[in-house]
Parts: sequence; C-alpha cells; structure tokens
Amino acid sequence: MTIRHHIADDTLMAYVGGTLAPSLSVAVATHLAICPRCRDSVAMMEEVASLYLEETEPLSHSEKDKDAALLDQIMATPRTETAEQGAVSSLAGPAIGSVPRPLADYMPVPLDQVPWKRLVPGISHYPLPQPGGKRKGSALRLLKIAPGTRIPEHSHSGQELTLILEGSYIDEIGRFQKGDIADLDNEIHHQPVADTDQDCICLIATDGPLKFSGIFSRLLQPIIGI
Amino acid sequence: MLREFHYMTPPEGISGKTETPQEKQGGLSADLCELGATGSRDAFARIFAEMAPRLRAFMLKNGLGASAAEEVLQETLLRVWRKAHLFDPEKSSASTWIHTIARNVKIDRLRKEARPEPDPEDPSFIPAAPETGEENMARKQDSALIRKAMSVLPPEQLRIITMSFYEEKSHGEIAEELGVPLGTVKSRIRLAFGKIRAEVEKMQ
Ligand SMILES: [Zn+2]
Repeated sequence: MTIRHHIADDTLMAYVGGTLAPSLSVAVATHLAICPRCRDSVAMMEEVASLYLEETEPLSHSEKDKDAALLDQIMATPRTETAEQGAVSSLAGPAIGSVPRPLADYMPVPLDQVPWKRLVPGISHYPLPQPGGKRKGSALRLLKIAPGTRIPEHSHSGQELTLILEGSYIDEIGRFQKGDIADLDNEIHHQPVADTDQDCICLIATDGPLKFSGIFSRLLQPIIGI
Repeated sequence: MLREFHYMTPPEGISGKTETPQEKQGGLSADLCELGATGSRDAFARIFAEMAPRLRAFMLKNGLGASAAEEVLQETLLRVWRKAHLFDPEKSSASTWIHTIARNVKIDRLRKEARPEPDPEDPSFIPAAPETGEENMARKQDSALIRKAMSVLPPEQLRIITMSFYEEKSHGEIAEELGVPLGTVKSRIRLAFGKIRAEVEKMQ
C-alpha cells in the first residue's frame, strides 16, 4: 500500500491536543495505524507539546507530604507482567479482519458482513456508533460506492475525513486509493466518482453537516440524515 | 537558546536553571529505561521527584481543579510505574513520553471514553521501515532541534502553537480569541509545522 494522501497538520495537531471531535479522531487513528509518515508527524508534535511542560515551573509551595504519600501508594501497586499482558490483550481483541483496530472497535460486524443500506442506486451506507455518544452534526459512517457512481456535489459546513478502506475514487483533488485519507474543510466542493471496477468502500467521519447542492442532492440529504 | 524561546514561556518568565534540558533528559531517560528493565524503586523515585511537581503545575494552570489535577497526576505516574517497559528512547524523549501519557489521561477523563489510538499489537498495524543507524542518531537530538526550529517561527504562528499546546484551546476557540477566520488558524498551523520540519531537516 502506497499512501499518497495524508492528514493535514492542523488536524493532526488537534488530535494530539485532544480537541479533535471523537468521530474525526477515529478516522485519524485508523489512518495512523497504517501510515508511519503521519505517525512521525504525531511524534514531532508530541515533542513540541512537551516543550511546554519543560517550560512549566513547579508551584512555589511544595507538596512534599502529598508527594511522599502518593509515591508510596504507587510503588505499593504491583507492576504488570509485561510480555504476558501484551499477548493477552492482542488475543482478546475483537475480530478485526482487514480493518485496523481503532475502526474495528466501532464496527459491530466485520467489514465483509456489513448490512449495507441503500441510499440511492450505486450508493449504500452503514452508520456506525458514535464514539463518546451522540454529538450534534457529528457522524461516523461507512459508504459503499459502486463502480462509476458519482457522489453528488457537496461541500462541508464543518470538517470531513474520508479514509479509503477498499477500492478507489477520483475527484477534483486527485485519486484516492486504499489507505489514503482526504482531509477536507468547508472551502472545498467536490464530486468523487468510484473509478475502478471494484466497489469503493470508505469511512467518512464528519463534524458539522454536509451541504449538498442541486435538486437531486437536496433529495438525498434527508435520506442520509446529516 | 531558552531566551529565543520566550514567546512560549509563562508570563513569569524563565527562572535560572542550572541544568540544561538535554542534561535533565539524559538522566530521566536512563531512569525510565532502568525502571522498565528492573523495576528499580530508586529510579522511579527520581522520576517522580523530577516530574510530579511540574506535571501538577501544568495540570493546574488551565483551570483543572485541584482534586481533578491530583487524580490525573496520580493516574499518569501510576501508568509510568507500570508501563515504563514500553518506553523506547529511540522513539521519543523521556519527558515527551511522560507528557503524552499525562495528556491522554486528561483527554480520556474529559471525554469519559478513551481517545482512539493506533495499537502496535494490532495485526493490521503497519510498522515503519527499519531505520538506518544515521536516522537513529538524528532522532536523539530531535527535541533540541525542534526547540531550535521553533525559535525561527514568526510570532503569529508560535502564538497559535502556544495556545494549542500550552493553553490547550481548540482551533475554534483560538480563531474566536484572535478574531481571525478558522481557515487562517489552520493555515498558520500548516505553515508552522512545515517550517519546523524544514528547519529540523536543515540542521540534521
Ligand atoms: Zn499519512
């Protein structure tokens, strides 16, 4: 897998700082699992963030008694048996198939058993549970686009991340293949079309509703329900 | 070097430190490795003495209440105690590793649900290509290089990084406070990290 489209630095920074919407964070973490380059960027940002901790001076009054008690309390806790723990946790994980764990954690069924719901000819979707509970304008869903099908032109009032899980699509920005992520904000109007003989399956995370233009699209919008 | 960095320091300014961050890092990193390998209580006590007061001050500065700050501090240091064997000095500096744990504890607490994260044990996880020895050498100096690279950032870019990582504000909150469009905040962030990357590459 050669990844050509990555997460923008402003999105990665919000992820590192913990201010990115939970739905978008799932898409980011899923891409990070398969993209060493974006993980390097995260590591760099964590170094930047930790400079601020290094610059923070301890409080003027010391908390010696509190600290001594806390130190004793922690060291009274057994340290975990490292290797065994790791092995157990990876075996106990959900059946994940070809989907990285950050996404698999939110998938009630494996990717090849998804009960797709048809939206319009050529386009089906499958809404996923929302991480951290329902949040206005925020959604996580899988979308399946049949070969040659064009997604109605739309723009975004918030942020949208599209991660390609299978197949590929092409739009005004370029060609997106397995592993690629499209990090779009509200300035971009686009009209992706699945461009091979294979279904294109993608994860779409949004924070802020999509805005469709055109009559057909306005019909579609209430069906998608975002 | 610290003086060039003054945009990001708290208003009180920088007190005279006797140790450079690099020297401090060396000791902290060695202690963390020792703790991971042997479970040394002495090593943990030194890490605790070094990090606990600073972590507490950092937690308190943005309005996290005293008892919440203590809980985050406690959970963070507990994870350091239990997970030190996962620390890899090739991958990050010791204080960054501990700070990242603290940030995650705090984020998870605010969200009441763990933030999704890649898991290296996941069979779908794609590891980085093996590094060359040369890249490893470069990695060890990253913290110092990044510090230096940040000193060349224009004030308006550094300001936004400070607001994000020191004041822990969202892009939306930053845009509102600075009275600029959200897109401007995002493009300044992209410019800033582009510049940091370029500077670090130049210095390596
Ligand atoms: Zn990437």
